[in-house]
Amino acid sequence: MGDYKLFDKTAEFGNGFIIAFVHQSQLLYFVLFLPKMLQQSYLLFGILAVGILSQINLFILSKSMSYMDSKQGYNGFAKLFGHRNLRIIAFAGIAVILIKLCFIVLGYAEIVHQFIFPSMQPSWLFLFIMLICTYIASQGMEKTLRFGIIAFFCTFWMILLYIPYFVPPGADVLDLYPLIPAGRDEHPWKGMLMIWSSLSGPEYIILALPWINPKQKALTYLSIANGISVFLYIVLFMACLFFFGTPYLGKISYPVLNMIRYLQTPVFERIEIVMISMQMFQYVFLASFLLLSLYGAIRISACSVHKETGRKGLYGVSFFVLVCLFLIDQFFGRQGKELNGWTNLQLWSGTLTYLLIPSLLLVANIRRRRRSSH
Amino acid sequence: MFWNKRIQKIRHEKKNGNELFQKNEDLSLESLKAMISNMDDGESIEHSISRNRKITIVYIKTLIDLERLNESIIQPVKNCSEEMIHTCLSSEKIVAVTTLDNAQKLMMQGHVLIYDDKGHLWAVPLENPLARSVEESQSETILYGPKDSFTEQIDQNITLLRRRLPLTELKTEKFSAGYLTKTKVVMLYVEGIANPDIVDIARKKISKINFDMIIEQSNLAAFMEDHIHSVFPQFQQTDRPDQCAYSLGLGKIVILVANTPFALIAPITFFHLFQSPEDYIHRWIVASFLRSLRYVSYMVSILLIPLYVALTTHHYHIIPLQILFVLLESRSKLPFSPFWEGLLMLFVLEIIKEASLRMPNKTSTTLGTIAGIVIGQAAVEAGFVSKILIVLVGVAAVASFLVPNYLLSKTNTLIQFAYLILASFLGIPGIVLGLIHMLAHLNGLTSLKQPYFSPIAPLYWRDWMDFFFRAPIPWMKKRPKQADALFKWRYNRGDG
Amino acid sequence: MRSPIFTVLLIGCICFLTGFSPFSDQNTVEEIAPVTFLAVKQGEEKGSLTVATLVPPIMNEEKQFFSTKVRLLEQGRRQFNFKYYREIRFGQLRMLFIDEQIAKTGIVNLMDTLLTDPEVSPRLFLIVFKGDFEAYTKNQMQKQKDLDYYLYRMFKHYEKENQGEIAVTNIHEFMEKTHTPYSDPYMPVFNVDKNCFSYEGTGFFSNGKLKGQTDKEQDQFFLLLSKSKFLKNVIIEPLDLSLGEVHAIVKKQVNLKDHTVVLKIQYRGRIDEYRGSKDLNSQADFYELTDEIKDYLEEGTVSLLKTFQELGVDPLEIGRQTLTPVSKSMSAEDWLTFWKSAKIKVDCSIELEPLTI
Repeated sequence: MGDYKLFDKTAEFGNGFIIAFVHQSQLLYFVLFLPKMLQQSYLLFGILAVGILSQINLFILSKSMSYMDSKQGYNGFAKLFGHRNLRIIAFAGIAVILIKLCFIVLGYAEIVHQFIFPSMQPSWLFLFIMLICTYIASQGMEKTLRFGIIAFFCTFWMILLYIPYFVPPGADVLDLYPLIPAGRDEHPWKGMLMIWSSLSGPEYIILALPWINPKQKALTYLSIANGISVFLYIVLFMACLFFFGTPYLGKISYPVLNMIRYLQTPVFERIEIVMISMQMFQYVFLASFLLLSLYGAIRISACSVHKETGRKGLYGVSFFVLVCLFLIDQFFGRQGKELNGWTNLQLWSGTLTYLLIPSLLLVANIRRRRRSSH
Repeated sequence: MFWNKRIQKIRHEKKNGNELFQKNEDLSLESLKAMISNMDDGESIEHSISRNRKITIVYIKTLIDLERLNESIIQPVKNCSEEMIHTCLSSEKIVAVTTLDNAQKLMMQGHVLIYDDKGHLWAVPLENPLARSVEESQSETILYGPKDSFTEQIDQNITLLRRRLPLTELKTEKFSAGYLTKTKVVMLYVEGIANPDIVDIARKKISKINFDMIIEQSNLAAFMEDHIHSVFPQFQQTDRPDQCAYSLGLGKIVILVANTPFALIAPITFFHLFQSPEDYIHRWIVASFLRSLRYVSYMVSILLIPLYVALTTHHYHIIPLQILFVLLESRSKLPFSPFWEGLLMLFVLEIIKEASLRMPNKTSTTLGTIAGIVIGQAAVEAGFVSKILIVLVGVAAVASFLVPNYLLSKTNTLIQFAYLILASFLGIPGIVLGLIHMLAHLNGLTSLKQPYFSPIAPLYWRDWMDFFFRAPIPWMKKRPKQADALFKWRYNRGDG
Repeated sequence: MRSPIFTVLLIGCICFLTGFSPFSDQNTVEEIAPVTFLAVKQGEEKGSLTVATLVPPIMNEEKQFFSTKVRLLEQGRRQFNFKYYREIRFGQLRMLFIDEQIAKTGIVNLMDTLLTDPEVSPRLFLIVFKGDFEAYTKNQMQKQKDLDYYLYRMFKHYEKENQGEIAVTNIHEFMEKTHTPYSDPYMPVFNVDKNCFSYEGTGFFSNGKLKGQTDKEQDQFFLLLSKSKFLKNVIIEPLDLSLGEVHAIVKKQVNLKDHTVVLKIQYRGRIDEYRGSKDLNSQADFYELTDEIKDYLEEGTVSLLKTFQELGVDPLEIGRQTLTPVSKSMSAEDWLTFWKSAKIKVDCSIELEPLTI
């Protein structure tokens, strides 16, 4: 068992994994009911605007990443913040990562429960998803990140499914009008916040810093991924507007899935079942990445970074997550609509991490540079 | 723990095994004769030669060329008047032997031992080349292309490769593996193209082998693979010299094992198992089509039956109405649930497949007919299985034959069983769970420490030229990144 | 190292093989009877329903007609299950026949019930029927075993190939149009009695309630203006004429200032059959006939639109023309009051392909 390492780097990575990772992390559970939250067609510009903001944020992120020495990994961060501070940050990180992880798994299980197996206990799905996540995570960070590319290829083609919605007579440009808001809307900020939170996720790439080749132009790949995500959001939102129309859209809880239910092919009449199942690739990938991150964060805050990583620790962490999932499912449950307090928690935590991490990192790096130059 | 104890025990035995065959006696006529005692084919002949000297010739008659024995050894020695007998022999490869251990080794490799009365021992190579001629490959036949294939003679195999790559950079490193079989293993690579790190990994892995018998290439591969628990082969096995030469040129390593006509190629990816030499013979569009057909049919062969089970147990609403009616009709009176039905059919099919492999050619046709009737008609008429499943099983079975790699296609049924359980348990999400597991597993594999799922993860765009599609050969200007060759351009840049 | 994985697998296999499953129900095909249609009728008491269907879907078994009086749709399914040895499932529900009486009282509730069931596909054809559906099915299933299937194929044909002839609509379109302010849904109306099942025209809904329907003549105009904008045949009885392969290009304009709605329609087609007195080889007669056809089409379209105004429905989505990228949109009520009193101008032009024999 001596050569079992979770966080080592053996082979060179292609460029693909940054795109895959960032893109996948930006298309989470939110994508499925985001159109409902937006509803008004002028928020198409909202998506675009937030996309540009997110681009700026990614610029900051890549800038601060370029200051870091990617080979150092943990020690790099330790130098930047100091060991004690890093432990505090890691401890806070445990909560954030745990929330995100639980949110992903719960959200996906909820969808499967709603659309595929109404009679099944969602807790069974937690078990299966956590099992497969633990398997992937136990292969180590490097292979988990690589799995992201597979997940990307297995899910990205689904964008083609939305093409029929853009074909007349179903698609009528009149469905998009009015493009400029005429009256005052009740909560446009909430929609925007939602988009921002949906686009959050790339900040977690700093956890994969040692695997990023310093020679790579990370910003290019980050931008490509961000561009793809924004494009996908716009495509989805437009398809939903064409398909449901603004007033009806507000009444549908999972608009994207309900839209897919309408599709038919000669062989499979209900594509949504296949589609939802294939979507599992994405959730499983992110969940296993977060699982590893969680394990790492626990190790840092428990001050056992320099000990050897073992499978037992990872299994322990995933068991802990499983227990959390059961508890959250028991107590928060599914009280009526899909946007309950639990979802709001994730909304805000995602927003804050995406907003703060790149900037904080940049500030810390600049401060350190100044200090070292004096 | 339990495992560790067992491993220690095995190590202990190995040590004994090595000692068992160590000969520590002194070199003498008696010890030589003792060596061949109880060996019917071991012979020792005493000859008196000139100057009243006596020599003893010891050999294993089944290993040497008896016809040449007389003319190249006995006659020259008989007429020899020199002090040192070996000067009379024309063979250049005469070895003076000093230890009994060495004498034994050489004799078993086909040398003739000559012991003179002064206590000198010489070994003259007189190996009987028990070889068949170069024939057409039986396992990978192609229509338009080279027809030669490897034989059991390792030197002949190297010749076949050397003719294709007349380079001094084509290095052949010799190893010996297995303390009983003492199998000759030759590792070939093109120096300057093959990555020295990978060569080094392979070299270490071969020299580390500590086992009694290495009979054929798979035994060797088992010791060299990074993941022994995986069902997927991590080395490509081929008996085609052209394919080996091509791989060598791309910077890969070829390992030849004595007494087997198959070579190992590494590092490979999962997708190499779907490639056939024929791909480079067809027009590129046709080749691309055929290759993608193979991937599709592989997926069909592992997913079709599980999908049937998933749809009939969980997702009846996916099936188009027309098909559903047919399904309902054919399933309405069956005794088994779809899962058991599928399991049964797969099991029977696998039995038939396996049986037809083990049978002599003449009986296997009869077997095919009987099996066809039993599966095709009788099972349906008896009401054991539905007609639709029969069709699907047939399609899946035929599709599995499209995979060029035999070892890979043999894993199909096992994977199918796993998917079948998942499908009946969780329907389509279950199948996807299985797919995730399979892809994650493939993603985790390595072949000589190089990623096994490579052009996809990690993403090597360069290698996509020869992946799902085969691009026109002039477009493939660079060697695949997966083998990590030192010299990436395939055309000669220096000379313009 | 490997033992935990093996243990999990082992436990999983044992669980599975002993029949332990996370589901409370399974959908093994031979144990269920997926019905293809439901016919809903007003019950005798107020608020009650009569639900009817045909089982089993298998062709070579004797068909049975089930009908039961319930208050809720799902209750109907349970009632059927009590009577039948296979479980009745709605996963393959393809057609919903709605009685005219229920359609008049409002069917949005019914649709919501069906849409919330994850098994039911949104591609569920909606049909309004008049008359005794039960008698028809009972009579017909003796002669024609796969009655329900052929009905389904008929609707699918008219939907998929955009054939004109019947304005097929499904549950999603119905709901979308009900919720969208400037459009109103429609459904085909069939007349059913013991021996026949015949198309009668299109029924128009507003707020989920059936308001009225077209007759066969008007229906031609509606089909030409609605989604498919195509008809295989337009029969013009007063002129003893049949037009074939008629395509229409429709331009709608709403002029808020003049309080008018303008429809510019370009028809293209060819004369299929003519039994009138004119000589089609003569140029003058041909032009005259063209003018007559044009007048007829204009009149018909105007009368159709007038009917819509009277019913207070807008199935042609004319109100959407008021939408612009910038300005605030009208409310649905504002539009309706405007529409009811708007002046109508229809401008037809027809292009006849030359007659060839």
